[in-house]
Amino acid sequence: MAGTVLENLSSRKLFALGGVLLVVQIVFFMIGGLIAPSPTSPIRYIASKCVDKGHHKSKWFVPWGPKDQVCEKVQDFDEATAKHISANDIVFAAHIPLPNREMVRWFQFLLMIMELDVAFKVHNPVAENAVVTMEAGLAYRDDKSAEWTPVARSTEERKLVCNFSHAKTIDNEGRYYDCDMIPLFELGSCYHKYYLINIRLPVREKQNINLNIGDIKDVNLIGIHQNGGFTKVWLSVKTTLTPTIIIILVWYWRRVTQLSRKPVLLEKTIFALGLSMAFINLPLELITIAVDVPWMLLLSDIRQGIFYCMLLSFWIIFTGEHLMDQSERNRLSVYWRQVGAITFGCLCMFIFDMCERGVQLTNPFYSIWVTETGKNLALAFIILAGVCASIYFFFLCFMVFKVFRNISGKRASLPTMSDARRLHYEGLIYRFKFLMLFTLLCAATTVIFFIISQLGMLIQLSHR
Amino acid sequence: PKSSFQASLTYASSVAAGAQTAMEECKHQFSWDRWNCTDNALSMFKPNTLPANRETSFVHAISAAGVMYVLTRNCSKGAFEQCGCDLTNNGKKAEGGWTWGGCSDDIAFGERISKMYSDGVENGQDARAAMNLHNNDVGRKAVRQTMKRVCKCHGVSGSCTTKTCWLQLADFRAIGVFLKKKYKKADKVDYVRGQLTENNSASSKRNTGLKKDMVFLEDSPDYCRENLTVGSRGTLGRECLRGGGKNMDKYEKKSCKRLCKDCGYVPKRITTEVTSSCNCKFHWCCSVKCSQCTKTVTKYICV
Ligand SMILES: CC(C)CCC[C@@H](C)[C@H]1CC[C@H]2[C@@H]3CC=C4C[C@@H](O)CC[C@]4(C)[C@H]3CC[C@]12C
Repeated sequence: MAGTVLENLSSRKLFALGGVLLVVQIVFFMIGGLIAPSPTSPIRYIASKCVDKGHHKSKWFVPWGPKDQVCEKVQDFDEATAKHISANDIVFAAHIPLPNREMVRWFQFLLMIMELDVAFKVHNPVAENAVVTMEAGLAYRDDKSAEWTPVARSTEERKLVCNFSHAKTIDNEGRYYDCDMIPLFELGSCYHKYYLINIRLPVREKQNINLNIGDIKDVNLIGIHQNGGFTKVWLSVKTTLTPTIIIILVWYWRRVTQLSRKPVLLEKTIFALGLSMAFINLPLELITIAVDVPWMLLLSDIRQGIFYCMLLSFWIIFTGEHLMDQSERNRLSVYWRQVGAITFGCLCMFIFDMCERGVQLTNPFYSIWVTETGKNLALAFIILAGVCASIYFFFLCFMVFKVFRNISGKRASLPTMSDARRLHYEGLIYRFKFLMLFTLLCAATTVIFFIISQLGMLIQLSHR
Repeated sequence: PKSSFQASLTYASSVAAGAQTAMEECKHQFSWDRWNCTDNALSMFKPNTLPANRETSFVHAISAAGVMYVLTRNCSKGAFEQCGCDLTNNGKKAEGGWTWGGCSDDIAFGERISKMYSDGVENGQDARAAMNLHNNDVGRKAVRQTMKRVCKCHGVSGSCTTKTCWLQLADFRAIGVFLKKKYKKADKVDYVRGQLTENNSASSKRNTGLKKDMVFLEDSPDYCRENLTVGSRGTLGRECLRGGGKNMDKYEKKSCKRLCKDCGYVPKRITTEVTSSCNCKFHWCCSVKCSQCTKTVTKYICV
């Protein structure tokens, strides 16, 4: 196999290349650590309790702002009881963001989590398999005096899993349960300035809706968005990197095509990897500043998926092509099993993602995690992905082991060669080893990172 | 100044509500103690009417905590025009601002305003002022120390590739329990050359311990007997708990001993017929449908 780039470099140039890569990496780390703020911000909103005597389903209730827009409120439910207001007359309203601020498009997405403050009462406990049924609505406006434009209205059922960590005695009445977070909605773009959430928890005795959900004191909403500063730094890094990658790609491909022979499989794979890298780097997110693109989150998931799929396939082909046994490879069909498996795995992740973020395009309140089957399916997916990643890693290790064994076989025949040839081969072998270890290091860190992040989620889930 | 006057108007109701919450919690925490947190409501606003003892330390700490707690929560409700990152008038500029890096937590806001109110009334330079300031600080720190850290993963397909964590307020009961523990460990101090120092110098408690604990200057009176000049109402006529079996903790089980026997009174059993609601059908708020039942209730009262 005739080398194209790295194999023709002298050791000095190789080290220089490595040094430059390292410096660039450190610079990026520094930019991330010193200039960019933390990636996301969580903000707590405690919903106000608006009173809706007439059950105006189409009206929007605003918790604060100019006097003529603000809804009639109660401070707490003791006041509501005194005023003969029933559960069906209460609308929980939250305005996003807090006063004197506005959302900006740089925030990219908005994720809302709900937490219920449920007080313990001996005679009104939270049932074992309690389900909260809520009529939730989301609206936006861009002008403080404009009307609210609805984004979505939906009736959602969420499981209410609450633990009480104290003795269930009269004495502990009034302490709050430890309730799990409830995912509320996810917006793939944060295009508007003001958002309004209205939530009702209707009680229907005949249908047994919202009957055993304890004594709710407050509805807390936690809004998570990407920080504007982070988006800006991140996009500028992407924007500077994209042309660089494209230039390198063009130069590389020209060099490959200038050779008298046809490009070999490895060269094509590297080119494909470069293309997927350029694609993931493309600062497409800049569009969101000008147009409302709710599917940007989905698209970046897809781009990430394509890159990982390509990267994993590349490693397999790279080690395979260096096996140095006599059999002829250099065709993608030799690797169809491995590459097919990787593609299948990535496709599964894509389908899973479509089920969540895809459906959220039409109904932001949708979540796959809230139903029992959905949650099990999601868990199964994650565990399967973890198992596949481990199998992949061990398979890769096995391949690399084989390469090293073949190399030491080659090395045995080195003394019989002429001096010039021997030096050439030794250099090649040294570089192969170096690259193998580097690749393995990359693969190991990637897989370990993936497993750790999944483990983190599993722990979080089992914690519930 | 005008700005601080306006500020005091905006926050006054929250401060009052905070003090109220604190007193309710205080009553709960001390419901089976000889001193049961009476007559102390809003004492933090009229500083030196109470003796400088352990109980007063608790009242100060929990009031400061209550005010901070309610202010923080009301901030999240959107009750104030300025909270979190917009408060740049303190000379402390928020890093980068809302658009760039989000806001500093609301807790810092609650802390600042609570400090303004509860420390603002202490204008003396004496031992008493130093003690109150210290205890207010212990109360405010308790709010931070009882906070819980919560995380949410929101990466590709809900994985933890991206994760956001935040601190959230515990319920106020947890703060009350925390401060009650601090109350039990409170240190008696002296005021020497403008500084609070450990009273019993033989004890090997470090100065760092003093920073975290509540402090007091005078010993508590005998709360068994009524002596209104030192703030004791006596335990005569107080109710205590007995029986109840497993449902009671140690503190409650010993309440009759603590309130009656140790004070030289006898717990007297009183049975009354009480009509109360039962078989209730609850909603999550407001309306309760119950039937009326009569049952006999046994109470114990110190005589
Ligand atoms: C974010 C992480 C995963 C990035 C990992 C970057 C990896 C995939 C990159 C960085 C340096 C790259 C190597 C640089 C040079 C060569 C020489 C060429 O003849 C074969 C490919 C090979 C060996 C490249 C393979 C891919 C490589 C190892």
